Amino acid sequence: MVLDDLGSSLRGTLDKLRGKSRISEEDVEEVVKEIQRSLLQADVDVSLVMELSDNIKQRALEEEPPSGTPARDFVLRIVYEELVDLIGDSTELPLEEQTIMLAGLQGSGKTTSAAKMAWWFSKKGLRPAVIQTDTFRPGAYDQAKQMAERAEVEFYGDPDNDDPVDIARKGLEATEDADVHIVDTAGRHALEDDLIDEIEEIEATVDPDISLLVLDAAIGQGAKEQAQQFDESVGIGGVVITKLDGTAKGGGALTAVNETDSSIAFLGTGEEVQDIERFEPEGFISRLLGMGDLGSLVERVERAMEETQEEEEDWDPEDMLQGQFTLKDMKKQMDAMNRMGPLDQVMDMIPGFGGGGLKDQLPDDAMDVTQERMRSFEVIMDSMTDQEMENPRSVGQSQVERISRGSGQPEEKIRELLQQHKMMEQTLKQFQGGMDGDMQRMMKKMQQQGGGGGGGMGGLGGGGGGPFG
Amino acid sequence: MFDSLKEKLGSFRDDVEETAEEKAAEEEEEAPTEAPEGETAEAATVAERSTEHDAPAAESAVAEPAAEDADEASTAADEPADEPTEEEEKSTGFGAKMKAAATGKFVIEEEDLEEPLWDLKMALLESDVEMSVAEEILDRVEEELVGERRKFTESTGSIVEDALREALLEVISVGQFDFEERVADADKPLVIIFTGVNGVGKTTSIAKMSQYLEERGYSSVLANGDTYRAGANEQIGEHAEALDRKLITHQQGGDPAAVIYDAVEYAEANDVDVVLGDTAGRLHTNEGLMDQLEKIGRVVDPDMTLFVDEAVAGQDAVQRAKQFDEAVTIDGSILTKADADSNGGAAISVAHVTGKPILFLGVGQGYDHLERFDPEVVVGRLLGDES
Repeated sequence: MVLDDLGSSLRGTLDKLRGKSRISEEDVEEVVKEIQRSLLQADVDVSLVMELSDNIKQRALEEEPPSGTPARDFVLRIVYEELVDLIGDSTELPLEEQTIMLAGLQGSGKTTSAAKMAWWFSKKGLRPAVIQTDTFRPGAYDQAKQMAERAEVEFYGDPDNDDPVDIARKGLEATEDADVHIVDTAGRHALEDDLIDEIEEIEATVDPDISLLVLDAAIGQGAKEQAQQFDESVGIGGVVITKLDGTAKGGGALTAVNETDSSIAFLGTGEEVQDIERFEPEGFISRLLGMGDLGSLVERVERAMEETQEEEEDWDPEDMLQGQFTLKDMKKQMDAMNRMGPLDQVMDMIPGFGGGGLKDQLPDDAMDVTQERMRSFEVIMDSMTDQEMENPRSVGQSQVERISRGSGQPEEKIRELLQQHKMMEQTLKQFQGGMDGDMQRMMKKMQQQGGGGGGGMGGLGGGGGGPFG
Repeated sequence: MFDSLKEKLGSFRDDVEETAEEKAAEEEEEAPTEAPEGETAEAATVAERSTEHDAPAAESAVAEPAAEDADEASTAADEPADEPTEEEEKSTGFGAKMKAAATGKFVIEEEDLEEPLWDLKMALLESDVEMSVAEEILDRVEEELVGERRKFTESTGSIVEDALREALLEVISVGQFDFEERVADADKPLVIIFTGVNGVGKTTSIAKMSQYLEERGYSSVLANGDTYRAGANEQIGEHAEALDRKLITHQQGGDPAAVIYDAVEYAEANDVDVVLGDTAGRLHTNEGLMDQLEKIGRVVDPDMTLFVDEAVAGQDAVQRAKQFDEAVTIDGSILTKADADSNGGAAISVAHVTGKPILFLGVGQGYDHLERFDPEVVVGRLLGDES
């Protein structure tokens, strides 16, 4: 994720300021050096890094901290404000009829992003269509078509037509009934003049409401030049960062945002059509500064719950809040948890758990172990009868032995599962008092627990994912 | 590619040269209190040269008693100077105090290099050289330069250039081997597997490589080990058609190792020289896919595994190169999209971190846009002859 390292290293440096009421120039130098290092390692443009760090330095030295404000909070606030200033809001994308054009380098992920965005709009109740105008790259048409099928959205392309402008025009006509038109274009780079001319023509023809620049998270300092050129020719209104599930930090996107005076629209975090997130600066920055990202977590939880429900109509997570919490519920939760993505990603969003919080204190493989544990729980559950799933308390020693043989898991594991279930059941009971089905409120509780230093761990890290996971 | 770095390296050289001259001037100043080491004639030449630079400060410096400590000398010299312009202060403040006799030699010390090295570090970062790699290069340059006692009749510029050239060449030319010779000597069919993250240009590079081999008299068969990505079969299929090559494919979702294995059998049966095996793009963080890659390596046992990355990649190039190399042990790399990039630092990072050579550059969208990577030429181009 963008600037994760900045988060942890910055917190480390800032921690040294803890307890100080005044900051020396040396303190500021150190903080600024740390910021520079992190930003540079995240591929943010060198001159932009210098500008940003100069601002922070100047403000930290010149501005008078409000009386009573600890030095650490003061510096933190400056860093926060400067980053907010740079990153701005997420790109405004009204949920209404519109045409969006994608542009970017070869292989940056435009076609995949087009399908993902279409999927995203369709989940918001709009009718999207993807129009593929890449006539150059072999297989582009087939890729776009298959991706659109996976996203279950309308698609237009014409493998026999080699004029992208003509395809764009006809595509818009053919998909007239759609609300959102997403026009995919062939990959090109800033120095290919003829291709730049071509995209200008496409732009003139489709007259998009917004053009988005699709950038690979791994792009280096070249991001600046690419962003400049694309902005100049088609006007960039927002940036999509792709392949953020790797280790790249995506700092090139900050450069591009700064260069094009635009903002970040979407984040691509995987190869499936649903691996897309709307960029939320608030969450982004609070995650960055170790304050968790509740917004994204809530969205993920809700989406995962919905999906799990879609598959089995008769299961309603609310039910378990009313009465019994069975192993079946627990299995559903584990399914939902799986859908939310890798545990460590989810942990990052929980205040007090992510960077700088509990997660940093866990050994690196702790998350793997937890995930492995969830898998073995699933295997065990598959070997249990309906009756046992509904009423886990009735499982006795002879049944444990049978399940162990059936699932190939040691008896110890089965007892562990039963223990886990019992614990979750209890946690859930605690929640039942204050629950009104509102996720947000539940999150708030989590926040208090998490902040307290591991109160929530029993459920979450333990394997099931807390009362809702 | 490399244009901007070239520019910056030029200015680094100038910086160090300047610092060195200042240093030399300073040494001259110290000379009277120490035992002079002769070569007065040469020293005089330099003294003259420096005088042109810092005339205003120089006069006053002569008046000052020679100081042992460089910093003291600098303070002492600057104060009485009649308000040197800002520019002068910046560029020559240190060397402004000199005159007197000279030793004809100077020693470059760590602090002399601090600023130029910082600038060079920024230059390397701006060129997308990964942070830790840049730091190592700088350490090498520093090691080479610090403590270097030179007559300053030897051009300081060339000392710096040698240090840089050495450090860069060492990094960038690591493990170079003669690709063509290796192809010629290998038992046929030679199996080459292409790996890398998504969208870097593996398939396109395979098509170009097939063309490259044909121009050198080798036949090749393409194998689509990307059984995952939508449109992968169609993409490589069109290339195979355009180049008139046999393509081995399986259904989407099939076993990639089996596809490449089939291609090897086909090549054996039909006397094809080279099997070019494509694989699905995968992020190095995807354990499942990285395991699969290891399996392909085991089952197919390729003669050569090439890592494909893009020249526009930034700091992350190091991470992925390292992890692909760990998973399958690569023999070399291809950098694509070099035509879109004026920085080229990825080449330095990837070569350094894998210890394997960069073999080719992709420089365009045509089949003949695959260039052999020549480290000597690249470093030569980097440092330029004139600037």
